[in-house]
Amino acid sequence: MKNLKILVVDDDPVTRLMLKKTLSKSDCDVDVAHDGVQAVELISRRFYDVVLTDMMMPGGMDGIDVLAATKARYSDTQVILITGYGSVDTAVTAMKKGASDYLQKPVNIDEVLLRLAKVSEIKALQKNAGDLREAMDITEKNAGETIQLLEMAVSGLENKLEDIKDILSQQDGDAYERIDTALRMLA
Amino acid sequence: MIKVTQDEIKILSKYIKDVSGVHLDLSKAYLIETRFKNILEETGCTSYADLYTKARSDPSKTIERKMIDAITTNETLFFRDSGPFELLQHKILPDLIDKRASKISNFFPLPIRIWSAACSTGQEVYSISIVLKELLNDLSKYNIKLLGTDISDAAIAQASYGSYNKFEIERGLTRDKLQKYFVANGDSWKVKDEIRILANFKKLNLMQPVNGLGKFDIIFCRNIAIYFTVEDRKALFHKIADILEYDGYLIIGSTESLTGVCPRFEPKRYLRSIFYQLKE
Ligand SMILES: C[S@@+](CC[C@H](N)C(=O)[O-])C[C@H]1O[C@@H](n2cnc3c(N)ncnc32)[C@H](O)[C@@H]1O
Repeated sequence: MKNLKILVVDDDPVTRLMLKKTLSKSDCDVDVAHDGVQAVELISRRFYDVVLTDMMMPGGMDGIDVLAATKARYSDTQVILITGYGSVDTAVTAMKKGASDYLQKPVNIDEVLLRLAKVSEIKALQKNAGDLREAMDITEKNAGETIQLLEMAVSGLENKLEDIKDILSQQDGDAYERIDTALRMLA
Repeated sequence: MIKVTQDEIKILSKYIKDVSGVHLDLSKAYLIETRFKNILEETGCTSYADLYTKARSDPSKTIERKMIDAITTNETLFFRDSGPFELLQHKILPDLIDKRASKISNFFPLPIRIWSAACSTGQEVYSISIVLKELLNDLSKYNIKLLGTDISDAAIAQASYGSYNKFEIERGLTRDKLQKYFVANGDSWKVKDEIRILANFKKLNLMQPVNGLGKFDIIFCRNIAIYFTVEDRKALFHKIADILEYDGYLIIGSTESLTGVCPRFEPKRYLRSIFYQLKE
């Protein structure tokens, strides 16, 4: 999970700091925002692999708003929501709107790391699938062109052979002349 | 995890070939394991031999259907390889309409019969629908029969429903076509009725006789014969030659060839693509 670009959004300074410290230690590149408004501002300027956001925040924008803004900007960014204890319904709503996962408070750092590892695994798989598709497209395109040329060439030769067969099997006329015509057709 | 033995691989791949024509490479044991693992668990089979016995003796053929769904590769996308659809729009359809119009009185709608022989989840068929819609302004002047068939129930069900998730919809469609011919429906996209209505879908195994379908002016048979043995390929393209109209058009996959497969067809080149017609 090295090199994931992560945005942590939380109005609680303690959680914010704790997440920033631990995630940075795991080689992630971490930015923080103290509310939804600041988060949206950051998202508009930079791509994040993961946005880890609190659900309830002051300032008029909550986690669902951050989720919507993130997805509108980069549909590839994975959004993980941090919900209060017992707010499963909100979490389900968030998942329906495209969140990849949710965590319940109090935040357990091992759990966060586990979710992030999952995200980075998915990213690796996506890249792999994309690479394979790309490789297949290129191979298919090249093979297609070659096959077309061969197909036309073979068909042309087959027709020519038919004509030559016709000429050679004609009964009338001079045999040498027929061979001569056939040879000229080959050239 | 239950392992598949060499004998089981042989039995199962013969069975798969018999019911679908799909020819499995015997060295690809993992394919059988990864693809049938879930069915094995669902049906409570204790081995792959057990699965084979159950599949064969199941009168409802549910297991067989599931195995076909699992083993077939449904990989497809809208306007795959683009060339054939340009060909359809700029060469085949205009030529066909010219030929037919000269023979038929203006009172009758002009018949255009198109078949997508292994249509998977429907992208190829709807790409054809879109071309028809864009080229022919007044569809009431034509009697269009556009048929998509496939052996996989799951694929045909999705094709009929005409709904695609975000990954499927992203592949091959321009933004413009997406906006014009699809409507968002929650997380997925659905083809509009005007496009859907042109097409029909039906389950059909290409290893079996196909003459019940009637004749066609244009046949798409792309990226399916590659899964068959050469013998089965030959049989397939002969059947296709039988139901293609004498002046009709055949389109195969961009990396496929009919050389040595069916001498009744002659390749013709237009722009960047090849199509086949019956020899005279
Ligand atoms: C790779 S897809 C090709 C889809 C589309 N024609 C294209 O080129 O994008 C191959 C399809 O062939 C179907 N298929 C496999 N065996 C078949 C058979 N015996 N009869 C009919 N369809 C079959 C599979 O279910 C699969 O959907």
